[in-house]
Amino acid sequence: MLDRTDEIGRLVEPGRVHRRVYTDPEIFELEMERLFGRAWLFVGHASQVPNPGDYITTELGRQPVIMTRHHDGSVRVLLNRCTHRGAKVANERCGHATRLVCLYHGWTFDTDGTLIGVPVPEGCAADFDKAGFGLARAPRTGEYRGFVFASLAAHGPSFEDHIGPMKGNIDDLVDRAPDGALAFDAGMHRYVYDGNWKLQVENVLDSYHVPFGHASTVNKEGVQFARREGDRKGAKVVEADQSKTASSWKDRRSYIVGNGHGWTSNTSLDDGKRSSAAFDDYKRVLVEKVGAERAEQILTPRLHNSLIYPNMSIMGLNIHVRVIKPISVDRTEVNIYPVRLVGAPAAMNFGNIRLLNVTHSAASFVQTDDLEAFARTQKGLRSHGTDWVDISRGLGAEEPDRALNATRELATHEMVVRAQYKAWAGYMREAA
Amino acid sequence: MTAAPKTGGAPAIDRAPFADFIVHEARLLDDRRFRDWMGLFAEDGTYWVPAVPNQKSPFDQASLFYDDRDLMKTRVDRLEHPRIHVQTPPSRTAHLVGNTLVEPADGAKDEYLVSSTVIMVEYREDRQRVFAGRQHHRLRRDGTGFRIVQKRVDLINCDSAFEAMAVPI
Repeated sequence: MLDRTDEIGRLVEPGRVHRRVYTDPEIFELEMERLFGRAWLFVGHASQVPNPGDYITTELGRQPVIMTRHHDGSVRVLLNRCTHRGAKVANERCGHATRLVCLYHGWTFDTDGTLIGVPVPEGCAADFDKAGFGLARAPRTGEYRGFVFASLAAHGPSFEDHIGPMKGNIDDLVDRAPDGALAFDAGMHRYVYDGNWKLQVENVLDSYHVPFGHASTVNKEGVQFARREGDRKGAKVVEADQSKTASSWKDRRSYIVGNGHGWTSNTSLDDGKRSSAAFDDYKRVLVEKVGAERAEQILTPRLHNSLIYPNMSIMGLNIHVRVIKPISVDRTEVNIYPVRLVGAPAAMNFGNIRLLNVTHSAASFVQTDDLEAFARTQKGLRSHGTDWVDISRGLGAEEPDRALNATRELATHEMVVRAQYKAWAGYMREAA
Repeated sequence: MTAAPKTGGAPAIDRAPFADFIVHEARLLDDRRFRDWMGLFAEDGTYWVPAVPNQKSPFDQASLFYDDRDLMKTRVDRLEHPRIHVQTPPSRTAHLVGNTLVEPADGAKDEYLVSSTVIMVEYREDRQRVFAGRQHHRLRRDGTGFRIVQKRVDLINCDSAFEAMAVPI
């Protein structure tokens, strides 16, 4: 048996982590208990359950949950497990139900989890009290601009403590909507890979891999395909001779703010020249709503990817929200939601949805090479030849960014990964 | 949806040239002749694989694939790129196309709707997997042949979580 606390401490060093953090099933079990069992996790977006009775089903770690809109208008996060004999109660990915009825013996729950009906009640034990048999609720929930989070632990850092430093990153996305709201109503991309969940988490802020991992997405000039509505071309990623990372790419920065969170700065694009019928129309609507000066700020991208540790990221380039779902130590599912900017012309939202297909669907140009990298990493980590995974790029070169109240480093370095392991070790060292 | 075959009235459409065309199209994919495959599409042609059953539109919902000719060219350029990691080694595929039905397209002269069942088995790196579903080709007569105005593939598992998909179905 894993000598937990001591051993966990030895797996993470300042510039390296032991391969067991990706490959050891016991560590994975401990992650489910100590990390996913405690951390604030992204559950879903309030727009997925617009009306009372609407629900979605998902997982927090491996725990099946239901997110409902109760008839008092509040969003609830319930464990999807009948309190009678244990069957999963809601079985569709999304739906509408005024009551949640278990298929097995018909126990019936209100949309806040309260048990309201038991068939053949005369058979219940004399001291049976329905009040004690409601669906279990996530002990703590929090919501910011429609983003719903839950913690499966009754105690721990507050929602504000955890999410507070990343609110600006959520604002950056939501403020792009002329009406200041997002709708998660454009379906989702779902992919799976044979690899540890942390491989995807680390990848979202990894700018080092792009010129190599995504070599097949750049043309002879080293420029990637256009990824935003109104762009003529994408970012310059490698030099024209294909041998070196482009200097504009190397100059990008990454930032950390504690709790494992972080982000990378924007990708340099020809923003002044961005134009298309859909984009120009969107810009006009945004200016009408928020004024020219604010619209210019909103349309000048500041962020590429943002990670809200441990299970969610936001992409500012091909706008989407990504949710990472661990299945087992070497199997992970990822869900990517296109986001509709409420108030934006339909053509602009169509453009965003359409370009996300080619960057992040299971059949996309970008994501597929990352999936190959995750699977090959998991295979390579089986090797006993080298126990340590190196994450030392830029170690010691971190510097404060007082304006952003963050710590900053070059984006092609590995500060963000080290910050994730610092948070990881914090959860993992402490018994639940 | 495709109507039941007619037993009287207008003369039946000869299905053979349509069936031959979609078999040829599938063969180009199996032979990894992606650029020639792209050449079967009309300039305004699209390739669509929805991500939910009965998806109404490729514009307001995520799709597995929705390529116009520009995106298709980027896709084909990438498939021919020597450093496409997800095709190192490449997939090998075998398509089977059958149960073909043909009807004239509503309101468009010289356009036809061809529906068929497609099964694609893909092998890569010691693993084999199966894609299956109904495909819908909208074909436009072009001289003695056809051009694809739209190819839509409705996979029976379109809304499941997929491992990386690199080649068109």
